[in-house]
Amino acid sequence: MFSFLKRKNQKNDRKIQEINNQNQSNNRPPNLIESSLSKNLEVIKQKTGNSSDIIIRPLKIGHNSQIKIAILYVKGMVDNQSVQDFVIDSIMNNQNLSEKLIPQEVLEILIEDVVAVGGIKVVSDWEKLLTALMSGETITLIDGISKGVCASTQGGQRRSVQESTTDVSIRGSKEAFNESIETNTAMVRRIINNTDLWVESINIGKITKTEVSIMYINGIAKNEIIEEVRKRLKGIDIDGILESGYIEQLIEDQTNTTFPTIYHSERPDTVAGNLLEGKIAIFVNGTPFVLLVPALFIDFFQSAEDYYERFDIATAIRFLRTVIFFISLVGPAIYIAATTFHQEMIPTELAIIIAAQRESVPFPAFIEALIMEITFEILREAGIRMPKAMGSTISIVGALVIGQAAIQAGIVSPAMVIVVSLTAIASFATPSYAVAISARLVRFIFMVSAATFGFYGIILVFIMLIVHLCSLRSFGVPYMSPLAPFIREEAGDTIFRRPIWAYKKRPRLISGQNRVSQGEDQKPQPPRTRIMKNTTNVEKGEPNES
Amino acid sequence: MNHNWILLFLIMTSTVFISGCWNQKELNELAIISAMAIDKNEDGKYVKTIQLVNPVNVAGGLQGGGSGQSPTVTVYTAMGDSVLEAHFHATSKVSRRLYHGHANLIVISEELATEEGIIDILDAFERDPEIRMTSRVVIAHHTKAGDLLKSLTAIDKIPAEKVNGTIHTTERARGESMEVNLQDVVTTLTSAGKETVISGFSLKGDIQQGKKIENIQQSELDTTIESDGLAIFKEGKLVDWYQGEMSRGVVWILDKIQQTDVILDREGQENILTYTVLRQKTRVSADTTNDLPVLTVRVRAEGDIREVRSQIDLTDPYEILDIEKELEKEIKKQLENTVIRTQQNKSDIFGFGEVVRRSDPKKWKKMKNDWNDTYFPNLKVNVKVEAFIRRSGNRTNSYLSDMEQ
Repeated sequence: MFSFLKRKNQKNDRKIQEINNQNQSNNRPPNLIESSLSKNLEVIKQKTGNSSDIIIRPLKIGHNSQIKIAILYVKGMVDNQSVQDFVIDSIMNNQNLSEKLIPQEVLEILIEDVVAVGGIKVVSDWEKLLTALMSGETITLIDGISKGVCASTQGGQRRSVQESTTDVSIRGSKEAFNESIETNTAMVRRIINNTDLWVESINIGKITKTEVSIMYINGIAKNEIIEEVRKRLKGIDIDGILESGYIEQLIEDQTNTTFPTIYHSERPDTVAGNLLEGKIAIFVNGTPFVLLVPALFIDFFQSAEDYYERFDIATAIRFLRTVIFFISLVGPAIYIAATTFHQEMIPTELAIIIAAQRESVPFPAFIEALIMEITFEILREAGIRMPKAMGSTISIVGALVIGQAAIQAGIVSPAMVIVVSLTAIASFATPSYAVAISARLVRFIFMVSAATFGFYGIILVFIMLIVHLCSLRSFGVPYMSPLAPFIREEAGDTIFRRPIWAYKKRPRLISGQNRVSQGEDQKPQPPRTRIMKNTTNVEKGEPNES
Repeated sequence: MNHNWILLFLIMTSTVFISGCWNQKELNELAIISAMAIDKNEDGKYVKTIQLVNPVNVAGGLQGGGSGQSPTVTVYTAMGDSVLEAHFHATSKVSRRLYHGHANLIVISEELATEEGIIDILDAFERDPEIRMTSRVVIAHHTKAGDLLKSLTAIDKIPAEKVNGTIHTTERARGESMEVNLQDVVTTLTSAGKETVISGFSLKGDIQQGKKIENIQQSELDTTIESDGLAIFKEGKLVDWYQGEMSRGVVWILDKIQQTDVILDREGQENILTYTVLRQKTRVSADTTNDLPVLTVRVRAEGDIREVRSQIDLTDPYEILDIEKELEKEIKKQLENTVIRTQQNKSDIFGFGEVVRRSDPKKWKKMKNDWNDTYFPNLKVNVKVEAFIRRSGNRTNSYLSDMEQ
């Protein structure tokens, strides 16, 4: 049976190869653009399969309109206004072009005088020309010239800059990245107005040719890490990049872990803040999620807002998050362990109440917890995929099934419902969705170990978890730093958040040589003189009555 | 890398086998024991009574389980030649696994404690990993230990809770009983310089009535269980019962009084003034220069005047000083009474021996073996009391003084 499958696959593979070979042999254009316009257009048509969204606008210019040119662009990829006004209009109405000209002069005039678009370049090989065309540039081909003029007129409909939906904060910038890489990099540059903010771009994906940019602050980011990021990105050889998640999975240090070793964010301020720490941002065209490397475990428990609120409040909130993460990790496990192994740890009254609730429950606590957890996961998954109009149905069914019916039917006990719902809420309260999903998975391991060995099992798994977390690296930086290895001066920004004026240095493992991030004596103080002091004028002067 | 994982896995697996007692048991598969009692019957067999909680009836309201229909606890009795055998016989009467983790009361019958002593029976309790050393121990006074567990109680649904709660409250509010747990009992039994004191509890009314649920369906219970004095032990055997002021004297010298009332006679009128002690500190020290140590009990009490039934002028500081003097005298008298009676019992429940040991270990070594019988009864004990009146409640002078004018 298996060999049969294998053979079929092989057959398919062979077919695909044949098709590829055919395509390559038929469509391979000569590397360079030819001088004949009609031939060139023919090649483009053939190469693009005569796609209907490629607009070819032939024009005739020069004395007696004897020179043929063609304007090409992809419908929807270009900004119609600029193609119309700055390319087609300019060419047709330009006085210089209606004189007696040779094609070479036309090219020069076009470049220097006519096309009123910022980015313009002349290319002579098909590869570059077609990539430019496909990325939304407008191409002008002139009969008799073996070159094409590319004008950057990228545009078309994109989602506007909107408020973040996954990374919401109360205080701080509301704008979030959108799907356009130009907008995204610009948004960061708007925050960091510095020449040292460097951007490098490459296209990744054999077929999609997706634009990917890495951004860092020169002098702050560590050169070794930048080099490593470059190396890993260049090593990617894949058909397509549809989202930054592809990049994330292709460049992460370790794949056999549920914990994310690359941070992603939708917020320009978060990215800017991380860049200032020496991290490197990876922008991918077509997604609002920007990757940040190297990522530490504690990064996933911090939100941009922590730094906007005063430190005492932020510290309290971070403590709360630590508790929340623990609950989402071991909540049901502790309940299982306490009720099936360590009844003596429950206060007597509570033990009696739980015993009374469990009196009619037919399952052991573990099965009960599993039923509830899985029910909840089903509801959650259904809630995400379901059309919005059906959302209320889900909540009603969920509330009834979980809350009422299951208890009344005696399948689960009310205490279990409390534990599971608390855990569920806790997993939503973790700032990072990525780490919340990991906790969701690990929770089941904890539940199994709690059901077999009680608290003992929980501790065992917990030790394994910590060992595992300590073994992780993100671009060579220990994942648990600055907790393990413990770096004292940076531990103030973990589950604590020290005052802004105490951030004297940048993280040692992440940033390069230049580590001083602020001047001395940044702690604010009241003025030395008393502002409220009565001045003699006020004391003596009469009220001005005139 | 691989080797490390295998090593880690092996270490983790081995820990599973070397771990101590563990056992999976669902809460609803357990018979939660709330209290245990030990009696001895005519045949000389131990009678173990266990009080099991009926969770559904305790939790009430939940899932239709009403507390009115059936009692909150069920009591089983079993006999055996040893405490553990009695326990094993009890298991044959209960459908679930007997679980001691929440048993926080152990009742020992007066009869057993007097005749045989408690030394023999406690080992079974101390040895069992499930039984808590913090379980309270009480002695059933004028009743069988088992009967104390059979009576249903109001307010506290579980009788064991009621017993523990009552002892706790009496200790705090009156200082006439003492919370003594298994650990304390075992420690004092084995200590040469301190004897055992355990609170007593008694059953008032007919036990047959007390078993019925009708008993708690009325505003005034026919059958109640209440805190009743202190049982004084000598070398594991019950020798005397202290009541009222006498038992408070014990608690006081042991420095466990948190609040109590002292009633004063004045100028020929009886019980005219009530003084509430709100803070007190008692220190016992020993002077071992002579052959026979001299012990000094220093009490410093602070409190309020809470009841006045005559026209004492409380605005007069000299009057207050006067009252303080009399209070000191009264407290001193009470404590001395307690000490004298205890010396007659030849049982050092105050831990005077410990005090002597601390101040002169060498001398103590010599006296240790004959302490209770020879030295303790002949000790000279000085009681020095300082009493302070801090406030007088919401009033200074009683309205009685206004009425006369």
